[in-house]
Amino acid sequence: MITYVLRRLLYSIPVLIAASLLIFFSVSAMGDPLAELKINPLLSKQTVHNIEQRNHLDKPIIVQYGYWVKTAVTDKFGSPLLIPGEHIWNDLRRVLPHTLQLIFLSEIFALIFGIGIGVYSAIRQYSFFDYVATSFSFLGFAMPVFWLALMLQIAFTDIFIKWHVRIFYTSGLSSENPGSGIHFWVDRFQHLALPALTLMVLSIAQYSRFMRASMLEVINSDYVRTARAKGLVERRVTLKHAFRNALIPLVTVSAINFGALIGGAVITETIFQLDGMGPYFIQNLFSRDTYAVMAWLMITATAVILFNLIADILYGYIDPRIRYE
Amino acid sequence: MPDPILSIKDLTVDFRTEDGVVHAVNHVTYDVFPGETLGIVGESGSGKSVSQLAVLGLIPQPPGRITSGEAYFNGKNLLTMGKKDLRRIRGGEVAMVFQDPMTSLNPVFKIGDQIAEAIHAHNDVSNKAARSRTIELLKLVGVPTPERRYDQYPHEFSGGMRQRAMIAMAIANEPKLLIADEPTTALDVTIQAQILEVLKKARDETGAATILITHDLGLVAEMADRVVVMYAGKVMELTDVRTLFEAPRHPYTVGLMDSLPRMTVDEEWLRPIPGQPPSLISPPPGCPFHPRCFLSNGRERCREEEPPLRPLGPDGHVSACHFAEELEGQQSKQVETPVEAAGSKG
Ligand SMILES: Nc1ncnc2c1ncn2[C@@H]1O[C@H](COP(=O)(O)OP(=O)(O)OP(=O)(O)O)[C@@H](O)[C@H]1O
Ligand code: SF4
Ligand SMILES: [Mg+2]
Repeated sequence: MITYVLRRLLYSIPVLIAASLLIFFSVSAMGDPLAELKINPLLSKQTVHNIEQRNHLDKPIIVQYGYWVKTAVTDKFGSPLLIPGEHIWNDLRRVLPHTLQLIFLSEIFALIFGIGIGVYSAIRQYSFFDYVATSFSFLGFAMPVFWLALMLQIAFTDIFIKWHVRIFYTSGLSSENPGSGIHFWVDRFQHLALPALTLMVLSIAQYSRFMRASMLEVINSDYVRTARAKGLVERRVTLKHAFRNALIPLVTVSAINFGALIGGAVITETIFQLDGMGPYFIQNLFSRDTYAVMAWLMITATAVILFNLIADILYGYIDPRIRYE
Repeated sequence: MPDPILSIKDLTVDFRTEDGVVHAVNHVTYDVFPGETLGIVGESGSGKSVSQLAVLGLIPQPPGRITSGEAYFNGKNLLTMGKKDLRRIRGGEVAMVFQDPMTSLNPVFKIGDQIAEAIHAHNDVSNKAARSRTIELLKLVGVPTPERRYDQYPHEFSGGMRQRAMIAMAIANEPKLLIADEPTTALDVTIQAQILEVLKKARDETGAATILITHDLGLVAEMADRVVVMYAGKVMELTDVRTLFEAPRHPYTVGLMDSLPRMTVDEEWLRPIPGQPPSLISPPPGCPFHPRCFLSNGRERCREEEPPLRPLGPDGHVSACHFAEELEGQQSKQVETPVEAAGSKG
C-alpha cells in the first residue's frame, strides 16, 4: 500500500508541471496584460516601462515562464501585477480556507445523504421512496443555482423579520462580533449553512443517482448472489458485500466534484457574499491581474490533482485489485 | 425407498422482460434422495440454473416470479417459508457452488474471510475457531499453503483455485444437499478433472445429496446416480444413469447422446441436434421439441398435444414423449437417424 501511495505521488509531479505550463502559456496568450495601462493617459511611459521590467515582460515568453515558476516557488507567487507592495499569497491564504470550509460542509453532507438515498432507492427499487427520490434528484438537476440561493435568502430573511429568530445568516462569513472558539465556529456554521445547502442540492442529486445505479449493478452480480447463498442476513449482503463494491465508482465522481468546486462555487459565493476563491478569481480576471489569475489557477489545479490523489488512495483502500496491481 | 430430501413439485418460474414473459421453468417435478447424486442436463437456457436458484430463493425478483410449485426440503416448503428460516437453510443444510468462479467471489474481501463468513452465519463460533476451520477446509479442497492463502484476495487465485474455495465455502457447514451448477464449465480441461475430484471428495466427506447441473453427459456418466433431462424449461426424461445411456426413451436425450464424441466409433464429425433451442417467450405448441425431433415425422399429435411426463416402467423411468415406446431397441440406429433428419430439413 505504501509503494502504491508513493507511486501515485510521483505520478502527480509531471501532471503538476504540465498544468503549470498550460496555465502560464494560455493566460499569457490572452494578450498583453499591460495593454490597458499603455493607453492610460494618466500613466507615464516610464511607469509602464518599470512595471514591464519588474515583471520581466520584455523578455521572451519562455524566460518569463522561468521567472514565474521561480517566484511561485521561492516567493509564493510574488506580488500582483498592479500592486507591487501586496502579496498574492496573503489573499489566497485568506480566501482558500473559506472556500474549503464551504465545500467540505456541503460535500460531506451531500455524500452522506446522496449515498444513503442512493442505496435505499436501489434496494427498494421502484418503491414509493425510490420514485420520490428520483423526482427530487431531477428537480435538483434542473434547479438553477442562483434561483435556489435567492429563494433560501428570501425565506430566511422572512423568518428573521417575522419571528426575530436567526437560524441561518443570509450573507457574509461571520457576524460583527463572532467571538472566539466554539462561538466563532457556531457563527461560521450559521453563515455557511445556506450556501452549503445551495451547493448540496445538486451534489445530492448527482450522488444519489450515481449510487443507485452502481448499487443496482452490483446487487445483481454473482458475488452478491454467493453472499446470499451462504445464508447471510440481507442487511449484511447489501451493506457489506454490495455496498463496498458499489462505492468504488463514486470515489472518482466525488473527487472530481471536490476539485471542481474549489474553483467553481463562483455563483454561490458571490450571491452569499462570501470572501472565497470564486469572487477572488472574478475580481482579478476583470482587473486583468495576470499573476493573480495564474496563481489562482495553479491553486485550483493543485487541488484537483490532490483530490485525484486522495481518490486513488481511497480506491486502493477499497479495492485490493488496484492496490496490488 | 427413503423419503426424498428435496421434493420439487410443479415448479414454474417466469421472467418479465421487455420482450415478453420468459417461461424459464415450466411445471417441473422431481425428487432428490439422501446421499444420491442427481444430474441435470440440457442445452444452454433450458432452465437448469433457474430451477435451482428458485428453490433457494435466489431468483432476482423482479424480473423473476415463481408462479407455481412447491419445494419440500426435509418436509418443509422452501418456497413459502419465512425469510429467516430460509436464510438458515441457505449455506447451512443446502449449499450451492456456482458456474463461474471468476465472478462468484467478492473481489474486495479476503478469500478466507469469505469462507469464514459462511461459518459465522450458521455457527456461534469465535473468529479464531472459524479461521482454523476455514484453513482446514481449504486444505481439504486442495488449496496449497492454506494459512497463507487465507489472507489473499480472489484476484490472486487462479480459476481452479477459486472454484476450490467456492467448494470449501459450500461444504463449510456440512450441507445435506449440495447443488453444483456447472462447477467445471468455466475451467480448463485439466483443471476440470481436478475440480471433479475435489467435488467427489467433498460429497463423500459430507455424505451430502448432490445435484449436479451440467451440459456434459460425460460428467453425468461419471458422477450421477439418476438424471433429469431438461428442455425448454421442462423435464423431458428422468431415469437412472444406466438406463439413460442404455435405453433412452426421449428423442431429445438420444440427440444429446449423439452429439457426444464417441470413443468406440471412428467419427469425423460430431452430430449436433439440428435447429435452435426454442424461444421461451413463445414456445412451440404441442411438444416443445417437435421442430427438431427426428421421431416426430411431422405427426399432428406432436404439434398439437403437449406430451405429459409419463412412467415407462416400474423403476421410475419417466419420459415426456408421445411415442417413447418407438425408441425401444433403437439404440443401434442412434448414430444415423438424427443426420437423416438434419439432411431432410436441408
Ligand atoms: N434475470 C433474468 N432475467 C431474464 N431472463 C432470465 C434471467 N435469468 C435467466 N433468464 C432466462 O431463463 C432461461 C433459463 O436460464 P437458465 O440460466 O436456467 O439456463 P441454464 O439451463 O442454466 O443454461 P446454461 O447452461 O447456459 O447455464 C434463459 O432463457 C434465460 O434467458
Ligand atoms: S412427442 Fe413427438 S415431437 Fe415430442 S419428442 Fe416425442 S416424438 Fe418428438
Ligand atoms: Mg446455468
